[in-house]
Amino acid sequence: MHKRNRLFVSIALVYGLLGGLIAIIRLVDPSLIPGNVPRMHGHIMLLGLILMMIYGIALHVLPRFGGFPLYSEPMADWQLYLANAGLPLMIAGWLGWRDMLVMAGGVLTYGAIVLFGLNMILTVRAKGRGRTLPVQ
Amino acid sequence: MKIELLVSGVCPFCLEAEKVWRAAAADHGCEFAVVDISQPEGAALAQRLKLQTVPALLIDGTLRAVGVQSPAEALTLLQPVRQQAHDRMQQMGFAFSPDNRGFILAAQIYLMLAGLGLLMNGSLLSDDAARPAFLHLFTLGFMLFMIYGLAGHMLPRFTGNPIREDAWPWLQMGLAHGGAIGYAVGYLAGWHALIVVGAVLAWLSLAIFAFRVWPVLWPAEP
Repeated sequence: MHKRNRLFVSIALVYGLLGGLIAIIRLVDPSLIPGNVPRMHGHIMLLGLILMMIYGIALHVLPRFGGFPLYSEPMADWQLYLANAGLPLMIAGWLGWRDMLVMAGGVLTYGAIVLFGLNMILTVRAKGRGRTLPVQ
Repeated sequence: MKIELLVSGVCPFCLEAEKVWRAAAADHGCEFAVVDISQPEGAALAQRLKLQTVPALLIDGTLRAVGVQSPAEALTLLQPVRQQAHDRMQQMGFAFSPDNRGFILAAQIYLMLAGLGLLMNGSLLSDDAARPAFLHLFTLGFMLFMIYGLAGHMLPRFTGNPIREDAWPWLQMGLAHGGAIGYAVGYLAGWHALIVVGAVLAWLSLAIFAFRVWPVLWPAEP
């Protein structure tokens, strides 16, 4: 399994634990964490835990199930960078009620989503040069 | 499984040890190598292991014994390693293990429970106090259990590294059930303490899952 994909899964677990911890703290004492905590929790769990887990596993299995190598490794690398730049920015925005940070983080996160979507479409449809797997 | 026997040309017992282990390796289908500590490779290995005595036995790179073993002792030494290899092969089997099967089955139950929100409120995300209950039956119940079952099944196969088993998956499952049910019932009944307990149990189940999966993703260097 590619190191980048293992990083996606590992980071997903870290986000899951972080998002859960934030929810528990909020349940115990809502004043302990400033900002828009419910939205932060929801997005950490969805964009952090669920989506990054899907990124890591899908980048590994979809090329294999599709029968073609991943269309672009650099696109997947940039997807990792963008996703993990975007979500912390969004979290910082919610913590400080800074909508511009949330917006900037959202744009980066969306960039990662688009890179993933395009990469998967082009992988499964097997577009581009050198797209055949070597005969075993 | 690889058996390595570290020997020296001046050791009077090494030839006997080699006979025993060559036969044991052949009987059990293991790779076998004799490594002379007077050669650079053997000297480096002996230095790394801080060996004072030969013959010395390594199984899969780990020092297991020194001296000459009888065939019966050789079998005893091989047994746990063979069991580990067998367990690992089972772990790499195609079918779901019982714990992962349990996670997947439970996920479907939680999905149907969460779907009741559609019947009761017309939406999974209703505007009343029951909103977190049905939402978290879907996320903590269906989605998280699906992740547990599928990732627990697939990641060891993707990486070739075994996942922590024994009682861990069952503890994880118990906590996850306690978490999802406690959280949902707590909201439906309006018991704040039960909501907190449910959230903590669910978090602990995720922590145990991370603990089980981490060596799958980042195995310790041999």
